[in-house]
Amino acid sequence: MRYGRILAGELHKAATLPAVWGGVAGALLGALAVTLLNSVAARAALENGRAEAWGSTSPFENAYAAMPLTVVGAVVLGVVVISSEYTANRADAGGGRQIATTLTVTPYRIQVLAAKAITVVVGVMVIAPATLLVTVGLARLVIGGGAETVSVTAAVTRCLGGTLYATLTGLIAFAVTVLTRSGILPLLVLIMNSTLVSGSLLLTKLTPLAHWLPDLAGRRLFGGLDTVDGGLAPLPGAIVMSGWTLALLVIAGAVFSRRDA
Amino acid sequence: MRVGNVILAELDKLRTLPAVLLTAVATVGAAAGIAAAFAAGDGGPGAAESVTDVTLRMVPYVQAGLVLLGSLPAAHEYADGQIRATLTAVPERGLLVAAKSVAAATAVTLTAAAATGAGAAAAALTWWRAGAPPAAGGGGGGALLGATAYLALIGLLSYAVALLVRHLIPVLVGVLSLVLIGSPLLAAVTAHARWLPDRAGSQLYAPTDPVLTAATGGLVLLVWTVAVGVGAWVRFVRADP
Amino acid sequence: MPRWWGRTGIVGVLLIDQVVKRRGSRTVLDRVTFAARPGRVTAFLGPNGAGKSSTLRILLGIDRADQGRALIGGRPYRSLREPLRTVGAMLDGVGAHRSRTAWSHLAWIARTHGIPRRRVREVLEQVGLAGHAGVRVGRYSLGMGQRLGLAAALLGEPEVLVLDEPVNGLDPEGIRWIRRLVRDHADAGGTVLLSSHLIGEVAGVADDLVIIANGRVVRTGTLAEVTAGHGDLEETFFALTGGAPGVGR
Repeated sequence: MRYGRILAGELHKAATLPAVWGGVAGALLGALAVTLLNSVAARAALENGRAEAWGSTSPFENAYAAMPLTVVGAVVLGVVVISSEYTANRADAGGGRQIATTLTVTPYRIQVLAAKAITVVVGVMVIAPATLLVTVGLARLVIGGGAETVSVTAAVTRCLGGTLYATLTGLIAFAVTVLTRSGILPLLVLIMNSTLVSGSLLLTKLTPLAHWLPDLAGRRLFGGLDTVDGGLAPLPGAIVMSGWTLALLVIAGAVFSRRDA
Repeated sequence: MRVGNVILAELDKLRTLPAVLLTAVATVGAAAGIAAAFAAGDGGPGAAESVTDVTLRMVPYVQAGLVLLGSLPAAHEYADGQIRATLTAVPERGLLVAAKSVAAATAVTLTAAAATGAGAAAAALTWWRAGAPPAAGGGGGGALLGATAYLALIGLLSYAVALLVRHLIPVLVGVLSLVLIGSPLLAAVTAHARWLPDRAGSQLYAPTDPVLTAATGGLVLLVWTVAVGVGAWVRFVRADP
Repeated sequence: MPRWWGRTGIVGVLLIDQVVKRRGSRTVLDRVTFAARPGRVTAFLGPNGAGKSSTLRILLGIDRADQGRALIGGRPYRSLREPLRTVGAMLDGVGAHRSRTAWSHLAWIARTHGIPRRRVREVLEQVGLAGHAGVRVGRYSLGMGQRLGLAAALLGEPEVLVLDEPVNGLDPEGIRWIRRLVRDHADAGGTVLLSSHLIGEVAGVADDLVIIANGRVVRTGTLAEVTAGHGDLEETFFALTGGAPGVGR
């Protein structure tokens, strides 16, 4: 079976899944809302001469603050492309799960999983920069381009960094959901980890080794100010996070190809 | 049909759903573990915190467990069409919602109390083993009760949202995003963020706000819950499942 | 002897009266009218998507009719104080959450009505699931799920049985068992309304027939009346529902 068809099938499935659109819409609207609020407040601070008290009046910074929501969207995408296979139909409709159909259509399990992973990557890499573009545009509209303090190269680098972080997090969510067959645990853990109540951050109090956990290793990909000491620089951090992602994907693939559907 | 029977049946449903027990146990365990971690990380002689202070710091983490627990009573009904069995057994929908709400409230309150208690016990135990007596004071029992109330109310808010929305994942993503991401971001922008459910509710155990007291903060959270609950009740009673 | 033995009057009569139901722009049920009487097995026959399940859901108060009414003994289902003691319903199979055991599922249902635990054991034995009571419903085969649904319907010893596609997924022994159950229930004076799209099964057990297609009742009457002039039930069915889109729904 030509791999292109398998990939096309998975892309089509994701594009026609209401949960995917819900996640994308939620992340986008949330990011827009946050950007708007931030921008309005920044502009007010500018006009009142209290720019320093507000923090940053850069349109880019005010839009970038909404990145955690984009990461949540990536997690939802990663979870849903595989958890939708395991949602059972009602018993009267046969109680079947889509996974059976998927695997009879395409018995090559690794290729199915790879196609799904590629779907997640494509999805995040399209949505994340697009969201950032739209939100920065909105911020510039509200605050005005003159207050920009972030250079174009820095902005592009941080955009790429943030997109990479979101993509890797989405893939981690995907791999864990393959292993657990339910999206609840990855959702809880990964959403919490992208906020102030991060479990990983808590672990750093106990041992500095926690800085090697994927979400902490990669946090400097966002650039900007550092709020937590210790840990890895952006590039080594990105490599460590990618390593985690690859390892989890390999484990997920091994388990998926061996066990009963 | 006796109300007591319907409430007991709803409690039976929760008791026999493995996900409920698992979530409750995991939440209590996490509370103990996180409180112990905080105590170990900051403890030692001369620690400036009491057991209460350390216990309260685990509340923002543990609330996720209560959010999940609260959404289960309603969301699981729609998973395998169980709602049809439920509605044929108890066709009087107002009664059903009331009983289900009582059962959900019982489950989240018990878990919240157990979590707070386990957290306090774990923190105290950690310090005792390290030989460092904790500082006294820090709000004591009142703050711990407030923490329990907050956790229970957040769980109840999730229950109301789940009853309205009927699907588990949107409830989890929505409530957690609001509480963990939206709330801090909004608080940085405007002081009016104090009226958000979780920020107002946090006054129950961390009364730092100039406008809201612990009691009024808790009340605001309750009002949010009731408002969503009314919407959920109307949809449940009037619409097709 | 069942509690309702010898009772007369309209208690056991099911009445569907000019029921209309729309979903969006589609009219799913168009002035559906029929009755099911005590002491008789009424079979509700029609192609897939004809409106059988929709009608039964309205009868049981799960969905709301846009017009018309559906009554049990002159009262809507939602006004019955202890509905399971009057109507035993089996809708679309199990209705049990997959991670619960069969016993727990029946136990909470029994609890809503104050039905004692020993009755749960009785119905499990009656449907042949006594050995699988501690198994999670998610592991049940289709047939076992059907039996569990039937067990739930029988919990309250009701005088009315409303069964939606009860023989779905059952093996020949199961089908014969249902046929006997249904026949005995009607012979004892109870009311049975069962829906099906399996003509053969219906022919062996039904007294009265209601044939529905495209949301409209096309014929009601006794088996003999309905099949008069068409030969057997299968011929009748296709003659009356001829051209109705059943396949592909």
